[in-house]
Amino acid sequence: MTLLGFSSYLIALGTMSGIYALLCLGLNLQWGFAGLFNAGIAAFFAIGAYVAAILASADSAVHLGGFGLPVALAWPVAMAAAGALAWVIGRICLTLQGDYLAMASIGIAEVLRIIIKNEEWLTGGTRGIAAIPRPFETLLPAPWNNLAFLGLIVVLVAIVYLAAERAWASPWGRSLRAIRDSDVAAAAIGKNVAQFRLEAFVLGAMVMALAGALSAHYFKFLGTTAIEPLMVTFLVWVMLIVGGSGNNRGAILGAMLIWLIWSATELLTNRLPAEWITRSSYIRVLLIGLLLQVVLQKFGKGLLPEKPPRLVGERRETR
Amino acid sequence: MSLLSVENLVAGYGPVDILQGVNLTVEAGRIAVIVGPNGAGKSTAMKAIFGLAQVRGGRVLFEGQEITRLPADTLCGRGIAYVPQERNVFRSLSVRENLEMGAFLKPGNIARRIAEVLTLFPPLREKLAQAAGELSGGQRQMVAMGRALMLEPKLLMLDEPTAGLSPLYMDQIFDRIIAVNKSGVGVLLVEQNAKQALAIAHTGYVLATGRNRFTDTAANLLANREVAESFLGG
Amino acid sequence: MAALSDFINLYLLPGLVVGCIYALGAIGISLLFGILRFAHFAHGDMMTLGAYLAIIFTASWGWSPYAALPVAVIGAAIVALGLDRAFYKPFRRAPGIVSVIASFGVMLMLRSAIQLIWGVDVKTYDIGIRFPMEFGLLKIAPRQVTIVLVTAALVVALHLFLTRTRLGKAMRAVSDDADLARVSGINVEQVIRWTWIIGAGLAAAGGVFIGIQTKVHPNMGWDLLLPLFAAAVLGGIGRPYGAVAGGLAIGLAQELATYRWFSDEPFVDPGYKPAVAFSVMVVMLIWRPTGLFKGRS
Ligand SMILES: Nc1ncnc2c1ncn2[C@@H]1O[C@H](COP(=O)(O)OP(=O)(O)OP(=O)(O)O)[C@@H](O)[C@H]1O
Ligand SMILES: [Mg+2]
Repeated sequence: MTLLGFSSYLIALGTMSGIYALLCLGLNLQWGFAGLFNAGIAAFFAIGAYVAAILASADSAVHLGGFGLPVALAWPVAMAAAGALAWVIGRICLTLQGDYLAMASIGIAEVLRIIIKNEEWLTGGTRGIAAIPRPFETLLPAPWNNLAFLGLIVVLVAIVYLAAERAWASPWGRSLRAIRDSDVAAAAIGKNVAQFRLEAFVLGAMVMALAGALSAHYFKFLGTTAIEPLMVTFLVWVMLIVGGSGNNRGAILGAMLIWLIWSATELLTNRLPAEWITRSSYIRVLLIGLLLQVVLQKFGKGLLPEKPPRLVGERRETR
Repeated sequence: MSLLSVENLVAGYGPVDILQGVNLTVEAGRIAVIVGPNGAGKSTAMKAIFGLAQVRGGRVLFEGQEITRLPADTLCGRGIAYVPQERNVFRSLSVRENLEMGAFLKPGNIARRIAEVLTLFPPLREKLAQAAGELSGGQRQMVAMGRALMLEPKLLMLDEPTAGLSPLYMDQIFDRIIAVNKSGVGVLLVEQNAKQALAIAHTGYVLATGRNRFTDTAANLLANREVAESFLGG
Repeated sequence: MAALSDFINLYLLPGLVVGCIYALGAIGISLLFGILRFAHFAHGDMMTLGAYLAIIFTASWGWSPYAALPVAVIGAAIVALGLDRAFYKPFRRAPGIVSVIASFGVMLMLRSAIQLIWGVDVKTYDIGIRFPMEFGLLKIAPRQVTIVLVTAALVVALHLFLTRTRLGKAMRAVSDDADLARVSGINVEQVIRWTWIIGAGLAAAGGVFIGIQTKVHPNMGWDLLLPLFAAAVLGGIGRPYGAVAGGLAIGLAQELATYRWFSDEPFVDPGYKPAVAFSVMVVMLIWRPTGLFKGRS
């Protein structure tokens, strides 16, 4: 591989890791902070991706579009749309616990996927939405434009991470953990359990939507294969569990690690004979599934386990 | 050699220790009763023996052999039957099925043993096909005891079998406990109705805040003024 | 008359057949939930596994799929026991949610293993073209009759197992109160093993029926999973008979929803057929999570 090829591979690796890191941080807000078992990550990812793509893409005969909005506007709208959907879903579903919430959220995500598949006038159906502009694309020559896009993603991940860290240490985060660990006890000391849960759910969904928007603009094409539950929902769950739920750094680490394994093995298996290349992607899924099991059994809390936040002034006392 | 001896048992739930070194003994064919205020750890002692609370120290011997932390079905197999304080019947199963479940480990001769349980608890006879969850509290207690007796145990552990029962049923249950004991079964009984329980027991233990407070023969405990004032309601 | 026979041939009978298949899968989900207290997300893939195990015999030795069915059932049961041992047993004492996450992993592994072994192409059992039996305007395919009858027989057998055998009663006892079952001396691990055997076996039978009815592909487990959950939830999760009723109801609802009820257009666009099951499930979860029928609390 040439140096240029390798550096563009690294840029692609970083970009995808960053998008997955956002998804993991979003899921961590819901699951790690609040114990909400959202198995419908793909729904919020899809809303973010499609709203951004429709708003920012050029006019098309196939689907709704032609608004030509700049990303600086399209992305916040996409996040707001996902937040609104999450608010509605949350109001209805967040009384459900554990497995039940998982089933309901996965059901909602699948209904949304069917709508996206069927409503061609809106989403292009299986033909998808093409020619979604990628930021910096025409502004800079390759590979600098891709590098700039990666830089943007790194900045966004950093912002979300820092915000999530603050939230974790804040009274809000503490209340969420109390609710997560025992909603009865938390309600007994006067916490508005439903409201806290709803806030975590909506915020998490908005972060997932941002990841969706970034991904649509990165690939410049958005079709129904991009919102498959395997690559969105389940892979993100594996990442968060491996990295360590309840730990924002764990979320980012899990995303980077799993994506590295995923794409590095692709690099290796691409050298296999042709008939093995198609099969190799299944070996990878198999290994990812196995990795999840190993981590669950050997490191139940993930590679970077949850830590209670450092309280103000604690540092001095421990000296 | 005692039938059951609990030595210095330390046990609890999660990070919390409830029992802080409890000693109990049940002699073969005798009745031992544990009394004490609410939250003293009486149920926890029984649960710890059966693995429903974590044992963190001490040991439990049955017929001289250590049984600490053995799985519940092993204990049943050795001849210990346990009736928990709450949720002690399979509510959706019929009375007959409840009794059969008591015999899961010893599937032979079920019909004879059901007949024996029914002689002990005649009111169950006409309820055999009814779901246990639909029975009255007293009848449910009979099903629970019957289920335990299906094992033909050497030791029967009963956690507050008379809780919430009318005096009539209460007397019936105490009466049945005596009958079971007469047939040679050792009984470990936890009771709120302490006076009545001590009246039928041989040995008594007063537990408070996870520790033994008094240990004596039942008769002596009944006669002890301090015990009577603090624990037997005057 | 033609309209009525059309309704029966094209909507009611297929709905019934699909309903039977869903019922077979949903029973396992319901039993497993009752015993192990977690929603088994890999159950759709157990059905896929059953369908592919049968292919070994139909493709290599030209067996009839009906002959391959028992072998597929046994094979799936063995695989399920292995999966339980390796991936679920370590979490018996952990919160149920951990097992759900483990089942995500099993789902990924099962599906990719199937893709790896059998490839991704759509496969059929090659039973040749059988002409439907005609009763006037009614056209009933023999395989439809077989599927319904075998399902009915399996449900009756399950009923007898649960109400007449020691192990079946113990299964209900564990589902009722696992702690009490344990202290009563019931061998809970043995009960769990049989729950896997029955759950996976019935799922495999359902998977083979899918192959007999239409075709087999590696992703079908995912398409099945939500209708199965919907059926189990509709019937009151943890209650196997409810799951049977729920399966039939979901199957019929899906097919009948596309009938031209009020106009010349299908009431629900066929593209939205799967959404019927999901919607029923979500509505049920929110409205009556304990199931449509009088359920346990
Ligand atoms: N499953 C449990 N988890 C945590 N704590 C428990 C649990 N069960 C009981 N406790 C606590 O252990 C202590 C002792 O309870 P235990 O049930 O042994 O009391 P008891 O003497 O049987 O009282 P009672 O007469 O009310 O039945 C109590 O403070 C109780 O709150
Ligand atoms: Mg008690």
